[in-house]
Amino acid sequence: MSTDIQFAIIGSAGDGTIAAGDILRRAMAEIGYRVISFDLYPAEIRGFGKCIARLRVTSEQAYSLKPKSDVLVSLDDSHAIPHAGEAREWGAVVYESGSVSALAEGSHMSAHIDPGQIPYPLRIRELSEKSTGSARSRNIVVLGYLAGLFDLPLEPFLKALNSKFKGKADIAAKNEAGLRAGHGEGRAAFRLDDIRFAPPPAQGNGAKVEMISGNAAVVRGALDAGIANFFGYPITPATSIMERLAAEMPKHGTRLLQTEDEIAAISATVGAGFAGARSATATSGPGLALMAEMLGMAVIAEVPSVVFVSQRGGPSTGMPTKTEQSDLNMAVYGGHGDAPRIVLAPTNVEGCYRVAGKAFEIAEAYQTPVIVLLDLYLSNRYETVPFPAKPPFDPDKSRYADTRGGPAGFQRFALTADHISPRSVPGQFGGMHVATGLEHNELGRPNDQPEMHTAMSRKRHEKLKAALNHPDFTVTKRFGDEGKVDVGIISWGSTFGECLEAMIAARSEGIRCAAMKVCMIWPFPVEAVSAFMEDCGQVLVPELNYQGQFAGILQSHIPRPVARLAQVPGAPMEVEDILCEIRRLAAPSGAGADKQAV
Amino acid sequence: MSTVRHHVVIGSGVAGNQAAETLRQQDPASRVTMITTSRLPFFNRYDLPRVFRGERDWRNFIIYPADYYRKNRIALRRATKVVAVDSANRTLSLEHKETIAYDTMLVASGAGAYLPEELSEFRPLMHGFGGFKDAIRVADALPEGGHAILLGGDTIGLDLARTLLDTGHRVTLVAGPHTFWPHEVAPEARPGFIAALERMGIAVIEAANRGGIAGIAQGAQGLSPRSLTFRDGSELHGDVVMPFFGITPSLDFMLGSGADIERGLLVNPELRTTNEAIWAAGDVCQIWTASARRYTFYHGWKNVRAMGELAARNIVGAGEAWVPIQDESLILTPDGRVHSPFWEYQ
Repeated sequence: MSTDIQFAIIGSAGDGTIAAGDILRRAMAEIGYRVISFDLYPAEIRGFGKCIARLRVTSEQAYSLKPKSDVLVSLDDSHAIPHAGEAREWGAVVYESGSVSALAEGSHMSAHIDPGQIPYPLRIRELSEKSTGSARSRNIVVLGYLAGLFDLPLEPFLKALNSKFKGKADIAAKNEAGLRAGHGEGRAAFRLDDIRFAPPPAQGNGAKVEMISGNAAVVRGALDAGIANFFGYPITPATSIMERLAAEMPKHGTRLLQTEDEIAAISATVGAGFAGARSATATSGPGLALMAEMLGMAVIAEVPSVVFVSQRGGPSTGMPTKTEQSDLNMAVYGGHGDAPRIVLAPTNVEGCYRVAGKAFEIAEAYQTPVIVLLDLYLSNRYETVPFPAKPPFDPDKSRYADTRGGPAGFQRFALTADHISPRSVPGQFGGMHVATGLEHNELGRPNDQPEMHTAMSRKRHEKLKAALNHPDFTVTKRFGDEGKVDVGIISWGSTFGECLEAMIAARSEGIRCAAMKVCMIWPFPVEAVSAFMEDCGQVLVPELNYQGQFAGILQSHIPRPVARLAQVPGAPMEVEDILCEIRRLAAPSGAGADKQAV
Repeated sequence: MSTVRHHVVIGSGVAGNQAAETLRQQDPASRVTMITTSRLPFFNRYDLPRVFRGERDWRNFIIYPADYYRKNRIALRRATKVVAVDSANRTLSLEHKETIAYDTMLVASGAGAYLPEELSEFRPLMHGFGGFKDAIRVADALPEGGHAILLGGDTIGLDLARTLLDTGHRVTLVAGPHTFWPHEVAPEARPGFIAALERMGIAVIEAANRGGIAGIAQGAQGLSPRSLTFRDGSELHGDVVMPFFGITPSLDFMLGSGADIERGLLVNPELRTTNEAIWAAGDVCQIWTASARRYTFYHGWKNVRAMGELAARNIVGAGEAWVPIQDESLILTPDGRVHSPFWEYQ
């Protein structure tokens, strides 16, 4: 017997919904389960707006959230009622049994529980008030109730609670009382659902498993790779990268500066990169738009720099707290002139760690800006990640020139066989050169002759191709059936987890299916993707943007019909939607792709 | 203004479900809402003794699958308690302060176990048998070959006694005036029925012979979990003590509704209460019997189901009168056993 239980806690901003989800996932990870979780919250700061904390607790590795939850908790019926159908058949619905004010017909959760769902009414407010003296611990009472109901050990919950309220002993003590009050009720409740927790899997292999968010994993990767400088300007959903680095970097003797805007942030990042320090900034789509000009500077001056971009719904301010993958075209193409850059896209939280660290290596090895594309779903998603005992990142891989020979003109932009030039840093004896935004010759001196511009343009494009073979970096990876398959899925970024779950489901239905994740989007891995597509009867490309931007890039390299599944719901793609497309494409009538083929 | 009628059925037992189904058939365009305090959908109470044969999954007791309610558009509101009815405004209030408007209301809230006042202080030491949860708790408390002490001995209790004996348990009945309820057994016939119970394997103690029940206590360590003391000082030890003194209608919420109540809701032969928009069916109501010139309770699932159907038909205007359909006589079988028609369920 294995465990695969998903919780959805739904409330209003200010109810402690997200905090409850946080404590629950920490407790589950502490018990030893795998956890994948993702929170939805409103753009507004407090007082209104819907918050949802969803977490899937498993014995085995899971790749995405499930479309249905096993346990649905309502901390605010007005927000939870529209989601009542999210609890599965025979799943549990926990809700406030009382009310402090008169309710109109249909405005209580009990009116919306399907006959197949199991109601668990609970005096949440009363328990909170009695145990803590206020109604503010309703979320914690519910957590205690869940622990008692499902016979989970209370200690990990207490540990998570105390960690959450570290340094606030009074608040922690009150919440502990609330937790215990809920726990008692849960223990006494009569179970009617079929939700069962199997013992957690034994942990081995020496890796340290931690519960961590995508953005926190990016920070961990950057720190483990030796980031020396960070410059940033806050923007959802990238802000927590800067916040976490601000807490960590001083401990490492490194520097972080909150700049006045994104233009300053990228300028400082490029400047520090020019000086030979591992540097990065983090932003979202609107910030990336502001950084476009300076990215061009980094391209022409061949300065390593890393930009983490956590995408959200756009354009403009758009949907700051909703996820989307619609900045891909801007990341790949956005800029003036021919300004190639490397674009990487992790697909899960562990990938955030590895790609973030590798981004510095790659930026230095190919002397170019690297954009790491995240999105709100990936940034805010929590997973249990087994971290390696030793960070898998190399120190600076730049080809630093030995310039000790003297002050003869140093060819910083020398045209070489592999298109990568020797590099020097400011102050290096004999390494002096001109770094400019103007087109230049090998010495860096302005030169706009057609032959030179052509040669330099070719150099800047061609050198990137080597990145497709960068050591110890997963550019693409195939999953599922080997050899010829009925349907092949190609996807990128956070959506790949849903693709993987859909592929697993399709295979269990007897459909020959495989999936390929693409982690390096630019330069586009034509050879690997092309070979995969050769094996596929039909190709499906799911992604969270309206245009099918990745499919467009793919087809600009490989002119073959693909079925695009492009959605902009502001939320992760539903596994079922992908599965339906797979079924349609795999149907004997075949060629379901024709309708959507582009 | 909506012309769709809203029929509210309070209770989700035999009468309530039959009524809801009939209302859906007879008035297809209407809204039908069924409200119950139970967390479970309609389940077969008559089957509960199967718990002692090892059946622990409540889903195997439910009568209709969840889809039945969806397909029939019956809004089933479980774990929901009605606390008051405002018949003037045709609204009812739920415990969580929600107000529901109705056009017609059928009260089919059934009945709960009756417990004589002198035993009420011992309630925490007794095991009820009103629902699935109760059944599971009794089964958990009763070890293999364990001893159940049944007080009163109504037909629900005697039905359980038969199963407990079949499953290898010991049963002692502390008999009294409620034994065989709701059957009315003539004093001269009683010894014969008691003897039949003993032949079936039930140990019978007439409470009156020991001065009545004095108290129930937690058994001392090393002894059975429960100890029953009679007024003559004698004791009886068992694993569970279960009261079976008949039932009492569940209609607290109807107080102040304007509908007349005696012991149950008083209804005319069409099952309408003294309020024109409120009907009643099942164990909760007393029906006017013109021939006897009194209000009468009718029990047994056949009667109760027929009442649910009739009330629903009359709600939509059938105008038909109640005719009991169930034989209510207690039988002594040729092989000398007791049999009640209330034990039969299809």
